[in-house]
Amino acid sequence: MVRLVIDDRTVSVEPGTTILEAAEQAGIEIPHLCYHPALPKAGTCRLCAVEIEGQPKLEPSCSTEVREGMVVRTESPRVIEARRSVLELLLTEHAMDCPICDKAGECRLQDYYQAYSLAPGVYAEDKTRREKKVPLGGGLLLDRERCVLCTRCVRFLDSVTGTSELGVFERGIRSEIACFEGRPVDNNYSGCLSEICPVGAITDADFRFRTRSWFLEAKETICPLCGRGCRIVLERHPGFPRLPGTAKVLRVRSRPDDLVNGHWICNVGRYGYGYLEQERCRDIAGPLAKRLGLKTWDDVVAHLAARLRALRLKGRQAHMAVVVSDWLTTEELFLAGAVFQRDLEIGRCHVVGPRDDSPDGMLLTAERSPNRAGAKALGFGLEEPTLEDLARDAEMLMVFGPFLGEKFRPDEIGAALAGVKTKVLFTPRDNGLGRFFDLVVPTVWPAEKDGTFTNCQGLTRAFSAAFAPPSSAVEEWRLLAALGRAVGRNPHFYTPLRCAGDVRRAMP
Amino acid sequence: MILAGDRFLTRDFDLEHLYRIESYAARGGYQAAAKALKTMTPDEVLEEVKAANLRGRGGAGFPAGIKWGFVPRETDAPRYLCVNADEGEPGTFKDRYLMSHNPHRLLEGMILASYAVGIRTAYVYIRGEYGAIARRLEAAVTEAKASGWLGDHIAGTEFGLEVFIHRGAGSYICGEETALLESLEGKRGHPRLKPPFPASVGLFRCPTVINNVETICNIPDIILHGAEAFLRRGLSRDGGTRLFSVSGAVAKPGCYELPAGASLRELIFDRAGGMRLGRKLKAVIPGGLSAPVLLEKEIDIRLDGDSLVEAGSMLGSAGIIVIDDQTPMTMVLDKMAGFYAHESCGQCSPCRIGTAWMARIASRLRSGRRRDGDLETILRLAANIKGRTLCPMGDAAALPIAALVTKFRDELERTS
Repeated sequence: MVRLVIDDRTVSVEPGTTILEAAEQAGIEIPHLCYHPALPKAGTCRLCAVEIEGQPKLEPSCSTEVREGMVVRTESPRVIEARRSVLELLLTEHAMDCPICDKAGECRLQDYYQAYSLAPGVYAEDKTRREKKVPLGGGLLLDRERCVLCTRCVRFLDSVTGTSELGVFERGIRSEIACFEGRPVDNNYSGCLSEICPVGAITDADFRFRTRSWFLEAKETICPLCGRGCRIVLERHPGFPRLPGTAKVLRVRSRPDDLVNGHWICNVGRYGYGYLEQERCRDIAGPLAKRLGLKTWDDVVAHLAARLRALRLKGRQAHMAVVVSDWLTTEELFLAGAVFQRDLEIGRCHVVGPRDDSPDGMLLTAERSPNRAGAKALGFGLEEPTLEDLARDAEMLMVFGPFLGEKFRPDEIGAALAGVKTKVLFTPRDNGLGRFFDLVVPTVWPAEKDGTFTNCQGLTRAFSAAFAPPSSAVEEWRLLAALGRAVGRNPHFYTPLRCAGDVRRAMP
Repeated sequence: MILAGDRFLTRDFDLEHLYRIESYAARGGYQAAAKALKTMTPDEVLEEVKAANLRGRGGAGFPAGIKWGFVPRETDAPRYLCVNADEGEPGTFKDRYLMSHNPHRLLEGMILASYAVGIRTAYVYIRGEYGAIARRLEAAVTEAKASGWLGDHIAGTEFGLEVFIHRGAGSYICGEETALLESLEGKRGHPRLKPPFPASVGLFRCPTVINNVETICNIPDIILHGAEAFLRRGLSRDGGTRLFSVSGAVAKPGCYELPAGASLRELIFDRAGGMRLGRKLKAVIPGGLSAPVLLEKEIDIRLDGDSLVEAGSMLGSAGIIVIDDQTPMTMVLDKMAGFYAHESCGQCSPCRIGTAWMARIASRLRSGRRRDGDLETILRLAANIKGRTLCPMGDAAALPIAALVTKFRDELERTS
């Protein structure tokens, strides 16, 4: 370990650490634009310059490694002065269109100006007009009047995706970021560019002009759209006070995780958040619900428990089938296993998830479910059932998730399931599957509940609900536990605490 | 005190066809290489150059022997020599004379440097504008290969060296050593972050020595006649002679070889024939455009590194630009600031934006539209660029501009 003093605080860090990183570890923030922990160092914005005792010049802290006994000052008058000067220079020709800039509120330049400068501009020369809407590809737009040439975007495409679509063209003050002719940005990580842009130079068509950043509620969760389970932040506009139902997820950001996704997420995860609201199931529906007047999920549980008890009493377990999905949390899958397989002794218990798609060789996996490894660890068979498997001699079919509707054509489903007497669907989304079922119960997406997923690397990670589900929807675990208490062999088994312990023991 | 016959680097330059290997050999060419390869170890060559205190002629004045010593010994990676022939510093035109008149001396110097450091591949990065000289160098490489002075088993020894001539594309910043390496690798000429220094991580990420043409051209003499003789040729602590490129308002502009430590006044008034058209001397830029300007009263000075640093300037590339009393300083400032703004690579903020801002003010001053506070702004910008950029170009721009504005403030205010 190397010991050094930063702003009168003694810090001990690994050899090879830079001053900026060491300061960060000690809770001291050094302003920076071009530095990004996951990109090769550039050392060009010069905003992170600090004073090192015994050195005549200020040194860039992002690229200067610590040495034993170093004494660093990050807030000395010289440092502040240099910082102000760099900010002044960067702002000379800056567009200053913060009122209409998507980055306003989360812009490093804005924050640092506020924190360190607040100096009035003295630049009296003509400002060069630059292009403000350069399409870069992938729905990204570049505003060259806002660009500070930190080259994070260029370095990202060089070192992370290896696709190198962007480069710096021209020289000196005429330098600009541009694509090579006929080769726009085209990769599955292009969305990261607007996220790493420290100013509002690269904006994203998906988010552009949709809201101001300060209205967004940021909630941490795990991306369920593939087997990687990247850590993400869902950002939601909470909606307007007198307009119910206007709350809306508007953006997905990555959340650093060294073990899983580093600092990045793919475009599938970033732009795929539409599923959260699309074709959302909001009410208990289906002919059965109408006939019996099932209004709440308690009614549903009571009715199902009675049916299940009756079937068990008659020993007709062979005439029941259950479909769970690998979008359920490990806890839910465990409960499903306990209720249906262990206690009710239903033999036909299948897992159906979304259709596999091509992986991208980096983060995105072929499987498009977040918990396939969890389902496997709990002993669920992962062979896909055919519709015949589900319908054969079945009196009752219970399906979790909308994925049958993705796997089979509607006419196939209709024909195959016509003979099944009672069909129950638990799903957050009705993609046309609901009309083949007698009872449709709205449930929630992973972002709306607590649980754990085990990703494709075998890492098990917990997450908690980012948002409350629609009021009519019920979490699958709540439903399964209630069902377990009603029909299980030992009702006391189905308490949350007991379950959590059992899940832990059940997982490898 | 300048003696006739003090010419070493430019010796035999009057000889026609000196650039041919036969003429060069006839005047004692490649004797130093033969001596070193056959009778000296690489370490002895290195020690001799260290003892000669051969300071770099490119601008920074760093001793060549010490630079060579930084190259790690215990490494399997190939080592490279890059000769910096970019000669982009305004007012400097010495390397072109050396290369066009006597390309073989450069090659011989490269053989010696490569032998001392254990290099098998060397490059000459030559300024894009020097097309004819590049062709001459290429011809010289071909001749040297044919005569066994390049290629494998030079002079019957185990030592071998390949030399490649690489033309730049016309950029000032590519004379900065790490930008030169980037350019040589086929990338944008952007200076690299240091450390690591090129001696450990250089061309193609391998240990690399980068020396100026004139520095390398001095080595054959040092090896042949010894460090002692070389040191004696200088008039001060700096060893050897130097090539001074004199331009501007003098009667006989040109390239002059003088002992290091010669007097600036004598150079201008004795060698370069004094002022042109009877004009008066107003200012001298003594070391290429990036050296802070000297006033008329400051030119009784020795032309060596230490003396000029003491006077607040630098010897740099020894490009001496003489400015007469009829040259408006607003024009000098505009040209100077405009040059650096044009040549800034644009990587780091202070240099990219600071130089452009200074240039815009300077251009306004020249057209007579000065506003209050303009000169203060230039001085403030220069102070904020100095020492705060990634490469030395920030200093190269800030120092001369600040000196010009400070020393000619009255005139600038009066005439703008």
